[in-house]
Amino acid sequence: MTVTEAPRDVVEAPAGPAPSAPPRGLAAVLGSGDPRTVGKLFVGTSLLFLLMAGVVAVLVGFERVDLSGFEVLDSDIVRQLFTLQSIAAVFLGVLPLLIGLATAVVPLQVGASTIAFPRASAAAYWTFLASGGVVLAAYALDGGPFGGDGEAVALFVAAFIALLVALAVATISVVTTVLTLRAPGMTLRRTPLFSWSMVVGGTVWLLTLPALAGVLLLVYVDLRYGQQFLGGSDGMYDRIAWAFWQPTLYVFAVPALGIIADVVPVFARRRHHRHTAAMVLIGLFGALAFGAWAQIGFSVDGESDPTDWLYDGVWIVVGFLALVPVVGLLGLWAATLSRGKVRLGTPLVLALFAGLLIGGGVAAGAVTVIEEADVLTTTWASGQELLIVAGTLVAAAAGLALWAPKLYGKLLPDGLVRLGATLLTLGAGVAAVTYGIAGLYDQPRSIAGSLDGVSEIDTVETLNLVAAVGLVVAVTGALAVIAALLVPSRRRPVADDPWEGHTLEWATTSPPPVGNFATVPEITSEAPLYDARYTGASVRTSESTEASA
Amino acid sequence: MATISSEIEVFAGAPAAEPPRPRVLLVGSALASGAAAMVLLTLVAVYTSMRADVIASGERWLPEDANVQLSPGNMGMITLLMSAVTVAWAVYSLRNDDRVHAYLAFGLSILLGIAYIPTVVYGWQQFGVGATSSTQALLIFTITGLHVAMAGVGLAFLAVMAFRALGGQLTGRAAEGASAAALYWYVTVAVYGAVWYGITITK
Repeated sequence: MTVTEAPRDVVEAPAGPAPSAPPRGLAAVLGSGDPRTVGKLFVGTSLLFLLMAGVVAVLVGFERVDLSGFEVLDSDIVRQLFTLQSIAAVFLGVLPLLIGLATAVVPLQVGASTIAFPRASAAAYWTFLASGGVVLAAYALDGGPFGGDGEAVALFVAAFIALLVALAVATISVVTTVLTLRAPGMTLRRTPLFSWSMVVGGTVWLLTLPALAGVLLLVYVDLRYGQQFLGGSDGMYDRIAWAFWQPTLYVFAVPALGIIADVVPVFARRRHHRHTAAMVLIGLFGALAFGAWAQIGFSVDGESDPTDWLYDGVWIVVGFLALVPVVGLLGLWAATLSRGKVRLGTPLVLALFAGLLIGGGVAAGAVTVIEEADVLTTTWASGQELLIVAGTLVAAAAGLALWAPKLYGKLLPDGLVRLGATLLTLGAGVAAVTYGIAGLYDQPRSIAGSLDGVSEIDTVETLNLVAAVGLVVAVTGALAVIAALLVPSRRRPVADDPWEGHTLEWATTSPPPVGNFATVPEITSEAPLYDARYTGASVRTSESTEASA
Repeated sequence: MATISSEIEVFAGAPAAEPPRPRVLLVGSALASGAAAMVLLTLVAVYTSMRADVIASGERWLPEDANVQLSPGNMGMITLLMSAVTVAWAVYSLRNDDRVHAYLAFGLSILLGIAYIPTVVYGWQQFGVGATSSTQALLIFTITGLHVAMAGVGLAFLAVMAFRALGGQLTGRAAEGASAAALYWYVTVAVYGAVWYGITITK
């Protein structure tokens, strides 16, 4: 009988686009569809954009120190910078940073040889880079919301739409990878939590970004061909501001929860407590974060209420209900840590910081939906946005520290990363709390808002000074994290699995070879490497890993 | 009588079963279709929301000289529904290796898809006012124009898959590309259903 049977625990790498030999030199960057290269490009570029957004936030912060007038910059410029800080932080920074991390890590986590649609993913990066540059150029040419140059304003809108398309395409690549290219035996229930969070977050992004693009398209047609029925450049920010409010704001933090959920069990040296429950909670948070319905309405006659959803049933329910998954996940992580043998590695420290910031942001959101508190249009909401954005950034830094061996083939310098993340957390936390307190004194969120209702102007100005200093500290921290990526590693070569990871990305070399895995183990749980290490289950790692060992 | 072992010998020389094909293109197309639909559905939502606000305040929604005719919209809807049937026919034929019917169905689908565009253009001509004359006109022209663009992408997708079928790349066992194009087309037709109801029927 001539029956040949492969060992049960070893199967061929899953089908997918055939990997090709990596290009060299400039072609390795310009023409590469390698997900690790594209992911690193996304990460590097988004960090630079984030730094710029941080500097803009500092400038706007110092403008608030003296509320009697605009001291540092011209009032029109300040209004534009006010919009730029949010647009740059979210759409040029946080979102592409998470997409970049996912582009590089998700194929490894699910045991795929490469990402789905690698060329589309690479094209998305270059479109992101070009359109992001044009968005900034349009601002420089007096475009953007509140811009005075009609051509530059239209250019901004067109570039912003292109940016959203690029981010959507890159997201489709990542989500498709998780849904179709998982290793044999890796059911969705066994998918690593970061990959799962990208499915959840990515799906909601794909429902949200096009909604924003649709509105922008209408604004563009109105600007270029209409009679500015929709308010022209001055009314434009009202059309897009919903993307920076809850519940939409939360959707950008969904992958951050996945990163934390992947970091915690590794450093607790224990399985994630109730993995399936964590998946459900991440899914619930993502579902609640869909907020394209909560937009400022268009008004033809100027009489209808443009925000009739405010303090209405759904908005209030979502505001409170969003606490449930976050508190549930914090509880699961606490249970995982309390039952494990904790090792306080840098990624865990950062993940804990991120969990606290995001938890604080969602709690602040629950206060926002209380009508009697009346803080939605005050700097309380700015503080909430800062907590969510900073929490997501710190989580991304935790992810970079964890997966640096796979992305860069080195470990990041512990001290510098910890220092940077601590400064980022402290600075953002102080700024958020002080903005929140200033919001309770009725300081308007908009920098050009009326100060008529502000009580205790001197106190508010002092709080704003503290917030501005906090922002400086946060930007310094972000600089330290970026510097950590640039510092060459002294420890070479880095081990394939320096953290004793649980999921499949640690079963290959650091950095991974072309095609990621020569052979992929059949997956029988959500933590196959943990099983192999602690329960003696049979898991055979890739041939390349064995060779390097 | 053949023994079990000899039967195994017979099958031992057969090629190994093909591993299940990951439906990368189909899933990617589904996600892209959903995203494209969201762009248009958002605009339709904006249209209906504004319309409801104006009517609630006792005003007339469409300007008096504007004229949204039923005939072009209905013809467009019927044309697209027929194209959805022919697209399903194309995919069914391809899966059953019935290449002649597949070519015929692809051809009809593309023809019907192209025929939809003049119905929209005719509707614009009959509208009576320019796109920039009012918020209502701006919305109607933007929404219907964007749907024509969406249908154009779908037609290109269908054409590529039809040519791949002509070239023999899409056989019965690997008709995923045709299924992906068909899925995108179904979403295009469904979205037009929302546009048609929101603009042509309710006006």
